[in-house]
Amino acid sequence: MKSKTWTTTIPDDFKKSFEAFLIHLGGCGLLIKKFFSEIRTKPFYFSLLVEQIYLIGVKSLPLIIITALSTGMVMALQYGFGLEKFGGKPYVPRLVASTILREMGPVFTSLMLAARVGAGIASEIGSMVVTQQIDAIRALGTSPIKRIVIPRVLACLISLPILVAICDVVGNLGGLIVGYYELGLDPQFYLRRVLDTSNIQDYAVGLGKSVFFAIFIVVPACYFGLNVKNGTKEVGLATTKAVVTGSLLILIGDFFLSKLFWIFDKWM
Amino acid sequence: MDVIQIKNFKKSFGTNLVHDGVTFDVKKGECLGLVGGSGAGKSVILRSLIGLEQADSGSILINSVDITHMSEKELVEIRKKIAYVFQNGALFDSMTVFDNLAYSLRAHTQLNESQIDDRISVQLDEFGLLSAKLLYPSELSGGMQKRIGLARAIMLGPDIILYDEPTAGLDPYNTIKIQELILRMKSKGVTSILVTHDMPTGIAVCDRFVFLQNKVISEDGQTEELLNKPDSLINQFIKGQIV
Repeated sequence: MKSKTWTTTIPDDFKKSFEAFLIHLGGCGLLIKKFFSEIRTKPFYFSLLVEQIYLIGVKSLPLIIITALSTGMVMALQYGFGLEKFGGKPYVPRLVASTILREMGPVFTSLMLAARVGAGIASEIGSMVVTQQIDAIRALGTSPIKRIVIPRVLACLISLPILVAICDVVGNLGGLIVGYYELGLDPQFYLRRVLDTSNIQDYAVGLGKSVFFAIFIVVPACYFGLNVKNGTKEVGLATTKAVVTGSLLILIGDFFLSKLFWIFDKWM
Repeated sequence: MDVIQIKNFKKSFGTNLVHDGVTFDVKKGECLGLVGGSGAGKSVILRSLIGLEQADSGSILINSVDITHMSEKELVEIRKKIAYVFQNGALFDSMTVFDNLAYSLRAHTQLNESQIDDRISVQLDEFGLLSAKLLYPSELSGGMQKRIGLARAIMLGPDIILYDEPTAGLDPYNTIKIQELILRMKSKGVTSILVTHDMPTGIAVCDRFVFLQNKVISEDGQTEELLNKPDSLINQFIKGQIV
């Protein structure tokens, strides 16, 4: 029997992976299409939306605050000590604010949400599939898209920008704390520098990105959850896929979105 | 009059052909037992009857309406008239028993909360489960979950009930309770299909049996007639001579 070499196996593996990628891409596309077609029709489950905003947004708040605070503090520390020898300490507020508002705020908040919420959504929906609860929703004449997908997608779209805004504030507060205690910067100076040097575009870029990131988190999570087929083992796999896919989409998407927003910046 | 008609139904999953031309019908008010070995595809037929699975070919007629190619939206009206009792109840574990039962009433009727409450209390009382009203499914025994599953399925007063192994894994007390509930629904003139391996229950409630074997219906007859025929597939199945 001929042994397989890397030249024969890699194309096959690549082909399979590419096929799977296209299937998942198509599946997510179909899910988005169903979302838009069903959101326009009655009924709309407002109470489910509120419940999801609480679970996705409010319950993520402590995690986001800790992440934002430590990120802001670490950045101020690194910039401060790094720029000290060049006499660049006064630039720390501007650098920390700009990085948090444009990049770290939306990216870190979204990654945290992908881990916490993406995993939760995929495993919850996957478990509902395994225990036939999704079938029961359909058998009782209602739509899983309306009851399960729409509230989660909308809740994520509403919650993530708010969480990013909170992250922006808390992150800068972290920078201010380190600026005052470690770098010896005056808090009023720090705050004034943040406010004077940050413009509306910095805020808009971060919040704009968060809308895309919300979709990157919640759509794969719902898709992988709904496509669990064979028992509880697949629930775990779906959860992993949801988190990995969401995180990769955020990190890769961040580059392209940054590029896109820079183009907008130049126009404006 | 035939309420359910399945004609030349074919279904496969990937390369695995499960049904290769299944044909049978169910008359109004009749309780049909759908029997066959494990993995014969009995549940697939039930799921297809309510549109949870799509047939590859053939037709499924409910009250002379072909549902085979209906969209999810079109199936909603059909599903209001067909109750599906899942093998494990399939109760929504994030909701109480009350909310599980209220689910279809809230979705498909204009009843206010107090009317819903009244109707659910009556239903639970009939099922002997009034004390479980505010409990969550995880707080119920398997038998209670199945009975609640049945209660939820019939909240809208269906014309047809599809039972997917309603007595599997139950103790004799709960099995008899389920049998009584099936007979009660039958006495109200509801048409039903019972998928089961529990032959005493099947014999107690079914007017007729069809036997699913080798991807098609191999035997079809009235319960008495089949039981009196020593070499019938049903008798062989009961004796464990075939799967």
